[in-house]
Amino acid sequence: MILRWFGRLFSRRRLERDLDKELRFHVDSLTQDFKAEGINEIEARRRALAEFGGMEPARENTRDARGTRWVEDTFQDIRYALRTFRTHKGFTAAAILSLAVGIGANAAVFRVIDGLIFHPLEVNRPQELFFIESSSAGSSRFSHPAYLQLAETAKPASFAVMTSPTTMQFTVNGVAELRTAQLISGNWFSLLGIDAQAGRVLSPSDDSVQTPQPVVVISDRYWTRQYGRAQSAIGSTILLNNTACTVIGVAADGFSGVTVGLPSDVWLPVTMQQAVHHNGNASTENADGSKPWVPQDGISWLAILGRAPESVDRNALLAALDGRYRQIIEARLDGIQDPNRRTRRLQDRIRITDASRGMSFLRRQLSPALTVLMTMVGLVLLVACANLANLLLARGTARSRELALRLSIGARRGRLVRQLLTESMTLATIGGIAGLFAAWWGAQALLRLVSTTSTPVPITLPLDWRVVLFGLGATLTTGLLFGLVPALRLSRPQIQDSLKSGGRVVETGSRHNRLPMVKVLVTVQVAVSLLLLVGAGLFFQTFQNLVRIETGFDRESVITARFDTRLSGIAQADLSALYTRMLEEAARIPGVQSTTISTVGPATGAARISGVSIDRYTPPPDEDTAIHEEFVGPAYFKTLGIRLVAGRDFNERDDERAPQVAVINETMAKRYFGETSPIGRGFGYGNTTDFQVIGVAVDVRVNGLRSDVPPLAYYPLRQKPAEYVRNLYVRTSGPVEPLIATLRQSLKVAAPGVAIREVLTLGDLTERSVSAERLVSRLSAVFGMLGVAVACFGLYGTISYSVARRTNEIGVRLALGASPSAVRRMVLRETLLLVGLGVAGGIGLVFALGRFAETQLYGLSPHDPLTISGMSVAVVLIGLISGALPAWKASRVSPTVAVRHDV
Amino acid sequence: MTIPTSKSDLLQGTLDLLILKTLVNEPLHGYAIAQRIAQSSRALLQVPQGSLYPALHRLENRGWLAAEWDRTETGREAKFYRLTRKGRKELENEIADWRRLSEGIQLILEEAK
Repeated sequence: MILRWFGRLFSRRRLERDLDKELRFHVDSLTQDFKAEGINEIEARRRALAEFGGMEPARENTRDARGTRWVEDTFQDIRYALRTFRTHKGFTAAAILSLAVGIGANAAVFRVIDGLIFHPLEVNRPQELFFIESSSAGSSRFSHPAYLQLAETAKPASFAVMTSPTTMQFTVNGVAELRTAQLISGNWFSLLGIDAQAGRVLSPSDDSVQTPQPVVVISDRYWTRQYGRAQSAIGSTILLNNTACTVIGVAADGFSGVTVGLPSDVWLPVTMQQAVHHNGNASTENADGSKPWVPQDGISWLAILGRAPESVDRNALLAALDGRYRQIIEARLDGIQDPNRRTRRLQDRIRITDASRGMSFLRRQLSPALTVLMTMVGLVLLVACANLANLLLARGTARSRELALRLSIGARRGRLVRQLLTESMTLATIGGIAGLFAAWWGAQALLRLVSTTSTPVPITLPLDWRVVLFGLGATLTTGLLFGLVPALRLSRPQIQDSLKSGGRVVETGSRHNRLPMVKVLVTVQVAVSLLLLVGAGLFFQTFQNLVRIETGFDRESVITARFDTRLSGIAQADLSALYTRMLEEAARIPGVQSTTISTVGPATGAARISGVSIDRYTPPPDEDTAIHEEFVGPAYFKTLGIRLVAGRDFNERDDERAPQVAVINETMAKRYFGETSPIGRGFGYGNTTDFQVIGVAVDVRVNGLRSDVPPLAYYPLRQKPAEYVRNLYVRTSGPVEPLIATLRQSLKVAAPGVAIREVLTLGDLTERSVSAERLVSRLSAVFGMLGVAVACFGLYGTISYSVARRTNEIGVRLALGASPSAVRRMVLRETLLLVGLGVAGGIGLVFALGRFAETQLYGLSPHDPLTISGMSVAVVLIGLISGALPAWKASRVSPTVAVRHDV
Repeated sequence: MTIPTSKSDLLQGTLDLLILKTLVNEPLHGYAIAQRIAQSSRALLQVPQGSLYPALHRLENRGWLAAEWDRTETGREAKFYRLTRKGRKELENEIADWRRLSEGIQLILEEAK
């Protein structure tokens, strides 16, 4: 039945021919019969036709009986629409372009959001997965013994553990590089349902505590990049932090772990912690971090991933887990002396959070920015849609005679609405398809904007059904919503009106107000684009304000090389010599003024924090006097351009034999030493105060631009030469760019076993802490301009159209002696009225919506008068320019032509 | 553009019944069907010629009729319709329906007497 329907649909031409033949046969037979009655040929045929009732109606009705009529009509409408598009190239191009821009921008932003927020992990039944988190601030890590106890409590569920993806030094064939690895329990892969595409994945037998197995599974990405997908990779040896491991398999294609935006290249058993010197992200309580971590309950370093069938009641599961967790905590309490800490520990609760979309810090970091961007592109689409509706209305009004004529000869209104809708849907579809193509590379471009050259954001961007669905949804809504209003308006029977004017559209002063709809739309467009521009202005200034924040160090002429000597497996005794070699090699580069090294460094995102006790300072009960620590090489303050406000810098006499000294920052000085001078005072670890303050340095934004400055102490590496250094800095007087490659080369020579993570200016490194703001700033500028451009086009189109309709009137005015400049003024006045209304509305919008953007701004109010007034002036100017061309055209109308003008 | 056509259901249904009945014995082309209906009803029923072909095509699309091109006695090509098995079953239903309907109408008319 359905097949036959399609058959009828596609064999339309044959069906038409057959029908024709059949009907002709009937009429011919009838004619023959009349002739047989003795009527002459011509009369017989006339009677036959009369009796039959005309060929055409019969044909029409038979076509209806075919049941494929509406599809045929739609195709016919589409063909008709495409034909009219060809004759109105400008109109069509404008509409499609606006839509492509609008839908493309939306789909692009949505695609990034989808990749980051909505896209489920590509594992078996991701909806069954969950993380166990503890409610204590910031810590959602557990010890290995705690994991084992929790796992045996909640039987219907199964559990596995993992560390966060960690940087490790990978050495293959003597080439060292820093990449990401993750320690996991042996059942992790089977819990996720991830298989090996070559070799095998880790199994529970691999994480034996007694004999840690040095086996690793590599990712598809790393297999491709490092081994060219060769089978020989299986069984080969890879050095992880200088420990030899055997590659036993490659994980399934596309799998890169469960941490979105932080793909891992290697997975190895948690029991390898000690062997690979894993030392990341742990909180320690009554435990020895230098011994293997797996058996110790005092070291919380693992995230717990669980899986339970959806039928399992999550609340019961949680209750069971929480009950067990109570016991674990109570067992630990004996080891905690600090009463404050004891109460805090007791308040700890367990939470279950959805893990179907994986874990992501990037998500949390970028969500507000993406929300702002999604709103902005939504507004751009709105402006674009208003354009579509406007153009359809304007063009449709010009076609009102055709429509009226069709209504008068019997077309049903529904049929006309359907045809007009088909037209707008056709436009929207073409725009939507173009938009999806735009989104394809738009999203990549977007990601490039978030990423800097040195830090790409590695989210996979599948153009999956969600994005296509989103695009389709946007397209259909656009086509329907913004096509329906014009269609309904235009198909309203005004036959007399349109036909009476004899095909001549005589517009007079009062009647050109017949387009209130169009004017309202243009006003809204102007208002929304002003909102977009003000937003863009605010975000741009926010970013500028952030970048201009005084960081306390020199950002322009300092280059930093980042690496990690801990991961290189170099013996601590050899470190000092290594540092000397690196510093000397770097100092030899021409143009380098001074060099230094440090353990943490500003704006790296790393930190080392310890509790201290301070001479003559009693902390309030709920404060733990924790400070950030930094070990620095010689000339650190000079090289980074950090000013000392009191005391002295370290010198070569501050060595291992001398008393221990420290330079502290202003925040630490103020917080712990108050108004008195800290120089000569002491602080220390435990209950000692054997570090002497010798100087105070200005506050440096070590945690990035937006974060407050923590108390910080600098120590000389000379007194602690076995600390692991992670940064080397050089200061140059000349251009920085050529130095970056040279420095990388020099370090390779000086320290061949140390992989260099990156070499960049301190400025670039610092700006990373505001990458979300940079994204919003750049994109909102782009979207703001797109919005204004589209709105301008709408304004231009509307004014031009209004001028075209008033050609008669203008011609008459000119004929009666109006000066061209008066005509120009008249048109510009109309433009200005629309723009003025729009700007007023836009300012209203800014005030109504400003507070939603407040948290995203820095250093200015969402109602910043300068931005609002500046952008308003800009919009008025742009609006006047859009109106100028039609105004000029109007003033050049020749009266004789105009009076005869026929639209 | 279509000119709206309104036919009563009764009329349409009746035409379907007449067509199906006419084709019980042999395949016929459209013109012959119209002739046959007129003859059989002794010209009491005139098939509205404009509705004949839509009805034929509709019945064909429903699968009650099948059609093929064949030569007439005069040697011209014409589209011959024949009853399908489904159409035959439908005819029985239609006849039963019609009997019920006319019986009902008959009863009402007699009561009114």
